[in-house]
Amino acid sequence: MSEQPDIVIDVQDLVKTYDEGRTRALDGANFQVRRGEFVSITGPSGCGKSTLLHAIAALERPDSGTIRVNGEEITAKRDLSSYRAQGIGLIFQLHNLLPNLTASENVQVPMYETKRSTGARRERAEELLRLVGLGDKVKKRPTQLSGGERQRVAIARALANDPPIILADEPTGSLDSKASQQALDLLRDVQRGQAVTLVLVSHDSRIAAAADRTVYMLDGKIDAESTDRSPEVETDAAASRSSPVV
Amino acid sequence: MTFILFILSNLLRQKIRTGLTVLGISIGITTVVALGIFVNSAKAATEELILAGGADFTVAEAGVADMTFSSLTTEDLALLETYDEIEHVSGVELAISKVGANAYFFQIGIDAGDLPFFDAPLVEGRLFGADATDEIMIGDRAADQLDAGIGGTVEIRDIPFTVVGIYDTGTTSLDAGAILPLAAVQEYDSREGLVTLAYVTVRDGTDIDALTDRIKAENEGLATLAGIDDVGAVDQGIEILDAVNLGITILAVFIGGIAVMNTMAMAVFERTREFGILRALGWRTRRILQMVLGESLLLCLFAAVFGSILAVILTQLIVLFPTVSAFITPQYTLDVFLRGLAVGIGVALLGAIYPAFRAARLSPAQAIRYE
Repeated sequence: MSEQPDIVIDVQDLVKTYDEGRTRALDGANFQVRRGEFVSITGPSGCGKSTLLHAIAALERPDSGTIRVNGEEITAKRDLSSYRAQGIGLIFQLHNLLPNLTASENVQVPMYETKRSTGARRERAEELLRLVGLGDKVKKRPTQLSGGERQRVAIARALANDPPIILADEPTGSLDSKASQQALDLLRDVQRGQAVTLVLVSHDSRIAAAADRTVYMLDGKIDAESTDRSPEVETDAAASRSSPVV
Repeated sequence: MTFILFILSNLLRQKIRTGLTVLGISIGITTVVALGIFVNSAKAATEELILAGGADFTVAEAGVADMTFSSLTTEDLALLETYDEIEHVSGVELAISKVGANAYFFQIGIDAGDLPFFDAPLVEGRLFGADATDEIMIGDRAADQLDAGIGGTVEIRDIPFTVVGIYDTGTTSLDAGAILPLAAVQEYDSREGLVTLAYVTVRDGTDIDALTDRIKAENEGLATLAGIDDVGAVDQGIEILDAVNLGITILAVFIGGIAVMNTMAMAVFERTREFGILRALGWRTRRILQMVLGESLLLCLFAAVFGSILAVILTQLIVLFPTVSAFITPQYTLDVFLRGLAVGIGVALLGAIYPAFRAARLSPAQAIRYE
């Protein structure tokens, strides 16, 4: 699969265990994502979807198997910092913004590992905050923002270094339904507007159904795939779209 | 936001804890800096004393525990005069006693015939007379402290002396004390025929180091003092002060290090999740290390600055006591403040190494899951 030029993520026979092998989070998972695709991973709690995403994000090393991203085997790399900084953009369930920093400063955090000057970092952060509809809140701290706004800052932060891939782990998990929909719309707009590959993990099948393709996981393996998009989600998305279109 | 400001903002998140840590380390640095100031001041005062009156070097009895315990005989003085390179030898008797509010009023007994070789510029009055036994010259600081002028009386050990001159040498202990006839000091000290030190003036072109080496080599009982480094031969006080200062410095580094380690370890434990996020966002191990060490260094830099300011204030308050000001003028030399800064850096590194490595070695996924 890795020979195919449009495959950007290629996971082969991935195994990840915890508790000295007693818990098998990934049990030979195989998974591919094409360039520019919006793929969701869903499944019941403990099925291994977040573990798979974390492995692709190089946050954890698998016990065995390989992960190739843009043809490069990340499981064989020792220093994964530059991959994390520039190869991917990460969005967490709980936004995970630094409380002492403003929205702009939070967006700048991944840019410290690039050669951008202080001024260039600030300009880029403000540009991204405008993109996610928070141009007037660049100096607000996380405590001064709503849950949905915080997640928008987190989305802007994920885009900081122009990564070709966005990995989102339950990005709407802590939001109410309206804010969830807005965040989802924003992510989809970003994915289309910035031509990035988006991999989203959600236990909510309704959210997952908004993707171009949905992958179902069970017991650490890919169980099934679907390319049917939920018309309900599509309709809701169009109706509740309030963020600027990218 | 620059990286330094990023580090500063982390410190300001816990203002009270940061403030208390800075205060705690500051106290250690204040102790080190203040003690350093006093040690340097004591050294400067001692050096001024051994080269008082413009002497090229001083001769004392070798092996005594304190310079003021030295005893030289008239034979010793005569022996020194046999050296061709020596122009003049002034035997002086040092004494310390309570006069007015000053418990350590410093007195130099010198023969009237030696006064032309002893540089003590008069600001008022005259030198004491050749045969006088009840005349005294006092320093300008002593005149202020005793509120005594020309014609006034100063009592030393219940013996009244008439002030005939007021001088200003620029030497703290001398200017807060008095110069009086040698015989008078020898009498009330019961040391007839003995002097404490010999101030030596050499002829032009003399190699002082070579001469002092020769005197020491040829006279086992004599010690020559040409600078502060020679004082150890006749006085262990400075060496003891140096040792105490070093001991307190080491103690300050260890105690401060533990305080910083506690603060930084707490900060790292509290922010475990945050370190995981930073690692997940692509921060390198080195940058995490830089951040934690930077926070610690900044913390200790504040403490060094604050501690040094406190030390200056403290020494200024201490020299308000006449007993202290009679002996020393605080010497605010760069080396003392650099030592304070070095203690700060030492404390920062010692205290932050473990927390910094712990933060840097966290697994991003585990750290993000940390509650």
